[in-house]
Amino acid sequence: MDNYTPERGTSVSELETPCFIVEVDALENNLQVVADTYRDTVCKMREHTKNIKSPFLAKMQMEFGGTNGGVCTAKVAEAEVMVQGGVTDILIPNQIVTTDKLNRLCALAKHGDIKVCVDSKENVQIISDVASRHGVEIGILIEVDTAMGRAGVRGPEAGVEIARFTLGLPGVRFRGVMSHQNVSDDKSKEGRHLRSLETFAYCIQVKDAVEAAGIPVEIVSSGETFSYDVATQIEGVTEVEGGSYALMSTGYEYMTEFQIAGKVLGTIVSTPRPGVAIGDIGTRSIAGPSGMIPRVDGLPGVEVESIHEEHIVLTIDGTTPLHVGDKFKLLPAHQDMLVNRWDQYVAVRNDVVEDVWDIPGRGCYH
Amino acid sequence: MERPIFKPIGTAVELLDTPSLIVDVALLDQNIATMAAFFADKTAKLRPHVEAHRTPAIAHKQIAAGGHVGGIAVSTIGQAEVFVPIGFNDVFVANLIVTPQKITRLCALANQAKISVAVDNANNVSDLSEAATANGVTLDVVVYINTRLGLYGVDAGQPAVELAKAVVKTPGLDFAGLMTYEGPILVDGPDELAKQSIMALQAVLDTRHDVENAGIDVAVASIGGTSNYEIVGAIDGVTEVQAGSYALLDARYAPHRPQFKAAGRVMATVTSRPEPGYMVTDGGQKAIGADTGSPSIDNLPNASVKGLSAEHGSIFFDETDGVNPKLGDKVWCTPWDIGTCANLHDYMFAIRDGKLEAVWEVSARGRYR
Repeated sequence: MDNYTPERGTSVSELETPCFIVEVDALENNLQVVADTYRDTVCKMREHTKNIKSPFLAKMQMEFGGTNGGVCTAKVAEAEVMVQGGVTDILIPNQIVTTDKLNRLCALAKHGDIKVCVDSKENVQIISDVASRHGVEIGILIEVDTAMGRAGVRGPEAGVEIARFTLGLPGVRFRGVMSHQNVSDDKSKEGRHLRSLETFAYCIQVKDAVEAAGIPVEIVSSGETFSYDVATQIEGVTEVEGGSYALMSTGYEYMTEFQIAGKVLGTIVSTPRPGVAIGDIGTRSIAGPSGMIPRVDGLPGVEVESIHEEHIVLTIDGTTPLHVGDKFKLLPAHQDMLVNRWDQYVAVRNDVVEDVWDIPGRGCYH
Repeated sequence: MERPIFKPIGTAVELLDTPSLIVDVALLDQNIATMAAFFADKTAKLRPHVEAHRTPAIAHKQIAAGGHVGGIAVSTIGQAEVFVPIGFNDVFVANLIVTPQKITRLCALANQAKISVAVDNANNVSDLSEAATANGVTLDVVVYINTRLGLYGVDAGQPAVELAKAVVKTPGLDFAGLMTYEGPILVDGPDELAKQSIMALQAVLDTRHDVENAGIDVAVASIGGTSNYEIVGAIDGVTEVQAGSYALLDARYAPHRPQFKAAGRVMATVTSRPEPGYMVTDGGQKAIGADTGSPSIDNLPNASVKGLSAEHGSIFFDETDGVNPKLGDKVWCTPWDIGTCANLHDYMFAIRDGKLEAVWEVSARGRYR
């Protein structure tokens, strides 16, 4: 456990490093973009809180607007953190299959509107059995595989079958359909739109098939940060599961309306050779999924050469000289993994600590 | 904070909540005993590097097994602040500590334990000296030599000798010796391993000779790790080996270090079976870690990781043997890098003979500073 809570008003130059900081101006910009996008649309944001792991930040988006009042969590333990933090409309776009986790989920259902996603009748049966014992009702959405080849039903027929099966069981209520799709590889807006239309279509097909079978579909939950602006134009989509937009990362920088708010502050600890500086940020603290390498923030001529467990090697061409003890900021390649490595957000505005926010969902894998 | 369902001691492992980091205590003890036995009759001794597990329960076992210098290595002051108050009284912060706040923390620890720290430049030596003198403590200082990894460190030979001289004449500091970290040497065959290890080693030993010729005693020559302890630990002039990964092992070291067994693994649950020969589990990057490589899957024939998402493991396997996992079945994943994985968890679940024996806190998780 990391228990660093610097005094409010501290300058970032005085922070002990490595330090995960959130630049509040950038965060607020991102929340405002979402609020503006969904102000007058039928489709609303259901923020995916696996990215922020904090009910405090989830409520911040709700105050800015654009949401349907609910959130997504990836895990039961994260849902618990949200419900206990006062956010009670939960969708878990994931499969919960073990009795002990479902017991826990059913306990939460006494305090909130709890919905999970399934891709098999077997899973619906287990949920029904446990929910019936607890005397609660769990909402069921069918997960549809679009193009990720991960979980999810592989076609409309399977979806209709599960929806029908759900209707006949106690303790479960059919609510709708859900899909994930990864279209972030295409960086042009036009490309993202076309690709999103294609992938969303799989989900809409299942919705249409279920409705054609006479079963009403209340929720169509789909879309994420890189399709947040496309989803509003697709008939039938009721909510979007955006998460990365709040703190952002270099991977989504092509979405220029959002700014990178989550950064890691480091200190130069060695300048062992001309043109090289070593910083105290490594993969342990910034996370480097699949070898994705962070970038230096705003220091011309300073580049990341390589990253190690506890250190980063920077090359400096002389434009910006760096000395031992100097501070620098790194922009993460992936913010989701980064947040999961930390216990606090050190919230800064104009490089002064404004507040410190807990990350209670860190490590909530269960 | 991790929020697993805590099951009673004695619970069968397959009933534990997932994804969790599970430690097989018998294998852990065996790994620790293997390492301790090697160093029992050597001049060089082990200094367990606890960054690889961050867990006091494991560090206590490493110390109890013997064959060590009497202390541990850590990579940050934050880690030292976890281990010093619980009785580890010889701690080597094998890293550069340069900021005033951190140097103050280092001096505060030196009031409680014998603290060593690495340096690679003379300004840092002055800063350490000033703080140590002001705080009335003595820090043991080790000159860090840049070898194979090309990270930080002073060059071997004369530059290192000059830095050693600077430390010797500076108040508040005791010159302890020399170290390098050459990184894991994961190569095929003992000859190549020896060749690459000795290349790094020789630079340190030659420098040791140079420093001694300048009339300075060298008490510490620290080099090597899990990948090459048996080579460097047997060579005259080496006094300690900082090894950590051997205790729990991981998929990165496993093919190269058959004398150790994978004692720390993540148990995950099958949550979806969307296609034949394909499953999705609840063990993804967040719970296993994939910063530098993918885990291996231990209990399924011909299993291969298609990919790890943040929260999911996507795994191919061979169904031809009639293997047909169902929802709720368990999958065992050996992380590529145990240090990454340990840093993701607040708890390790220690099992013996398939039953829960203890829950260990990973007390130094997240201690980056």
